[in-house]
Amino acid sequence: MIKITNLEKFYRTEEVETIALNKLSMEVKKGEFVAIMGPSGCGKSTLLNILGLLDDPDAGSYLFNDIEVADFNERKRADLRKHNIGFVFQSFNLIDELTVFENVELPLIYTGVAAADRVKKVEAVLDKMQIMHRRNHYPQQLSGGQQQRVAIARAVVNTPKIILADEPTGNLDSSNGNDVMELLTDLNEQGTTIIMVTHSEHDARYSHRIIRLLDGQTVVENIMI
Amino acid sequence: MLKNYIKIALRNMGKNKFSTFINVTGLAVGMAVAILIGLWIYDELSYNKYFKNYDRVVRIMQHQTFNGNTGTQNSMPLPLAGVLRKDYGNVFKYMVMSSWTQEHILTYRDKKLNREGNYMQEEAPELLTLDMVKGDRNALKDPSSIIINERLAKALFGDEDPMGKAIKMDNRINAKVTGVYKNLPKNTEFNDMDYITTWALYVSAEPWLKSNVDNWGNNSWQVFAQLQPGADLEKVNLAIRDVKLKNVARTGDNLAKSFKPVIFVFPMNRWHLLDEFKNGINTGGRIQFVYMFGIIGIFVILLACINFMNLSTARSERRAKEVGIRKTIGSLRSQLIKQFFSESLLITLFGLALSVVLVLAALPWFNEVADKEMHILWANPLFWVICIVFSLITGLVAGSYPALYLSSFQPVQVLKGTFKAGKNAALPRKILVVLQFTVSITLIIGTIIVFRQVQHTKNRPVGYNRAGIVQILMKTEPVHQHFDAVRTDLLASGKVEEISESSSALTQIWSNWSGFEWKGKAPDLQDDFAYIQISPEFGKVSGWNVIDGRDFIRNNKADSNSMILNESAAKFMNLKHPVGEIVRHGDSKYTIVGVTRDMVMSSPYNPVKPALFVFNREAQAFMTVRVKATVNMSEALAEIEEVFKKYDPEAPFDYKFTDSEYAQKFADEERVGKLSAFFASLAIFISCMGLFGMASFMAEQRTKEIGVRKVLGASVLNIWSLMSKDFVLLVVISLVIASPVAYYFMESWLQNYKYRAELSWWIFAITAIVAILITICTVSFQAIKAALSNPVRSLRSE
Repeated sequence: MIKITNLEKFYRTEEVETIALNKLSMEVKKGEFVAIMGPSGCGKSTLLNILGLLDDPDAGSYLFNDIEVADFNERKRADLRKHNIGFVFQSFNLIDELTVFENVELPLIYTGVAAADRVKKVEAVLDKMQIMHRRNHYPQQLSGGQQQRVAIARAVVNTPKIILADEPTGNLDSSNGNDVMELLTDLNEQGTTIIMVTHSEHDARYSHRIIRLLDGQTVVENIMI
Repeated sequence: MLKNYIKIALRNMGKNKFSTFINVTGLAVGMAVAILIGLWIYDELSYNKYFKNYDRVVRIMQHQTFNGNTGTQNSMPLPLAGVLRKDYGNVFKYMVMSSWTQEHILTYRDKKLNREGNYMQEEAPELLTLDMVKGDRNALKDPSSIIINERLAKALFGDEDPMGKAIKMDNRINAKVTGVYKNLPKNTEFNDMDYITTWALYVSAEPWLKSNVDNWGNNSWQVFAQLQPGADLEKVNLAIRDVKLKNVARTGDNLAKSFKPVIFVFPMNRWHLLDEFKNGINTGGRIQFVYMFGIIGIFVILLACINFMNLSTARSERRAKEVGIRKTIGSLRSQLIKQFFSESLLITLFGLALSVVLVLAALPWFNEVADKEMHILWANPLFWVICIVFSLITGLVAGSYPALYLSSFQPVQVLKGTFKAGKNAALPRKILVVLQFTVSITLIIGTIIVFRQVQHTKNRPVGYNRAGIVQILMKTEPVHQHFDAVRTDLLASGKVEEISESSSALTQIWSNWSGFEWKGKAPDLQDDFAYIQISPEFGKVSGWNVIDGRDFIRNNKADSNSMILNESAAKFMNLKHPVGEIVRHGDSKYTIVGVTRDMVMSSPYNPVKPALFVFNREAQAFMTVRVKATVNMSEALAEIEEVFKKYDPEAPFDYKFTDSEYAQKFADEERVGKLSAFFASLAIFISCMGLFGMASFMAEQRTKEIGVRKVLGASVLNIWSLMSKDFVLLVVISLVIASPVAYYFMESWLQNYKYRAELSWWIFAITAIVAILITICTVSFQAIKAALSNPVRSLRSE
């Protein structure tokens, strides 16, 4: 599903050039649940942003479903993103001015789904995330766990092929964190590929495989059994 | 999608009530100003368009050259219209000679009214395409007919049918109503005119006209014409150019010939806005106000747009997250741009709605100041189309910068929470604030200079004492015929100082004469004098200052062929010792008995014209009465009226105060001054609202910095000056830019006036102080609020 080869990314300021990704290669197969771990500054988030087509690499190849996307322009990337990729963030990143329902509806609007279908889909996914009763509330009125469930609902409402999660439990207590991990696991079992960046060994244990990064390079890959 | 945009726009507006308030109010005020100016411009541009043959109606005019200077006038000799009609009938469809619009007494049974009207030739109703309510456009064919407008019909006849009724004019001539026409709108040339009566009646009322039928040197009448369809203006002008010159040559009028008269037609579509001539060239006119106010309108709207841009981009850090999320989810930049544009359009539409309310509220006042009858053109689709299109443009302009700026954020940066607008992000905002204040300050300086020019001219010594003088335009003879008795009665009443007769009022010059001869006159000098006939009491009534020789003496037979010059005339005639000199005009011979200080009788902005005051007991037109300073004016007026009625019971007593007539001369400039003061205040108001919003945003953004500074020991004063300094600097920059700009424009405006106030440095200094004070006041509220806040709180909020 995802294959990257010799991916490079630099950050430059006037005096220093920082290498975020150093000829990184890896592959993620369809239906996998992969955790990416490593110390702060090792390039985890950079990798995730590139995988999510939010950022582009300076060199190397990125095949998404066998298509080279490393040189896609903004429009093509947005198009690929909205149809294939769902995002879950540590800080939830819900839009404060929109209700739960409207936040979840947003990706469907951008992919041009008809209004009636949108209601059906949003209601189904809210139901599944057990936050239907909160549909007309605004994000600030929800607990952290509930907000993250809304964010996951928003990530999956378009039935993406892959979910990219950036420390999804980072802002949650352990009980809410476990709930979120269970949700991701369920989604994975239903066929969604998941790539998750995390600091938590506990969370990483939900995955099939852990990729450990150091200084922009893969150091170890653990296969979970 | 649009629904989603509108939804989020509305919620954003609700959430940020303060900046929404500033945006909507600012835009509404700006748009209200633009609509008012738009209505004003519409009114100006549609002036005279009521006349259906607007494109083909012309006024006959002439250039004449005096001592190398070409002057242009619309007063014509009596025989001209006839000659043009006879010799150039193929280019003129209608030719109408007209008197000047003047007051006459109209009497129907026991009702008497003083109303303004014209004597015109019979094709006038066709030329003016009068909308006849009764009768038809042939109504002036009967020599004794009069046609009246609905206003006058109502006033004079009430509900009676006016048709066929006899109206007595000035207690002398009888006219029969043969038509009633719809009132001419206020924005037409003839809106003062309540009636038109025939040329034949004019001739019978003023028998002296007969002596002018072949006089090409007396320019005292107007001529209007309508060109045949397809007639080419240039060709017409070429054809009629020398018609007067040929005729003055034929009649041997060498004086008129020496002025090299050039006759031309001046089309109606230039009368109102383009009626200025400088040295024989049509140079413009009121159109400059149309341009000026148009530019001001655009600027005021722009100021409001700038508020919107600044407040939206200042809030960008808050919107950044939303942009990031939307982009992550799959929004294209173009979709975000559309979203932000829909927001600004929504705000603009709210602004438009509010502005219509503001316009409704301001229109009565605006009409009064502008002396117009404008109203919102509810039924005119064009008005709404323009409003909507204009709002869209405003929305696009206001939304452009925020839309392009906000949509350019990269999701990776903004979602990490590390997004901070860089130092340079505030630069465009600063530039826009400078632009706002540059415009506002320019307007303020301009306004001060306009008012100062008016004030300066008002303070000009007028050369006579205008307080306590009443002037009465005489339409009938009896008071004049019994002048001595009237005078004796008035003086006996103890309320009146003196009364005089004259051919012009103190505030006007009705007559200009040329062709005088005096000892030492240069052979090639062309003379042009204001010519005023006065009774010997005139000097005492006006309170003029005789600086050489003496005033006229009543009952002094020798004075009957004498004249008094003003200083300018003495100078123009180059007479060192004018008293005793002889001045000739044709067969008449006058002795100069005195010289007076110049009196400002016509435009106070121009030098005083050389004037000759000629002793004439038969001078009529005006009675001028000086009331005793100690006497109550209304009692004096009652007394004067009683005496006048005693000798002329038929004539309504109608008077004007000389000082208010004089004040009228400033009406135009004062109007411009009031309007520009109005626009300047709104401009500064809008700019300050923006500044206030920016200051509140800045205070919010720097909360942490202020907290840290306070913890480290900064005083309230320190914080206040820290917060205010930046804004004051921006205003100082604006001052530096605005001052030379304003100087340049106002200096060239002042060139229009010969008598003008100099531009002095203090105008700029005062403006600078006021602008800085206003800035400090506006910013201080937020600055002090921030400075007084508890640092513990602000630091915890991080």
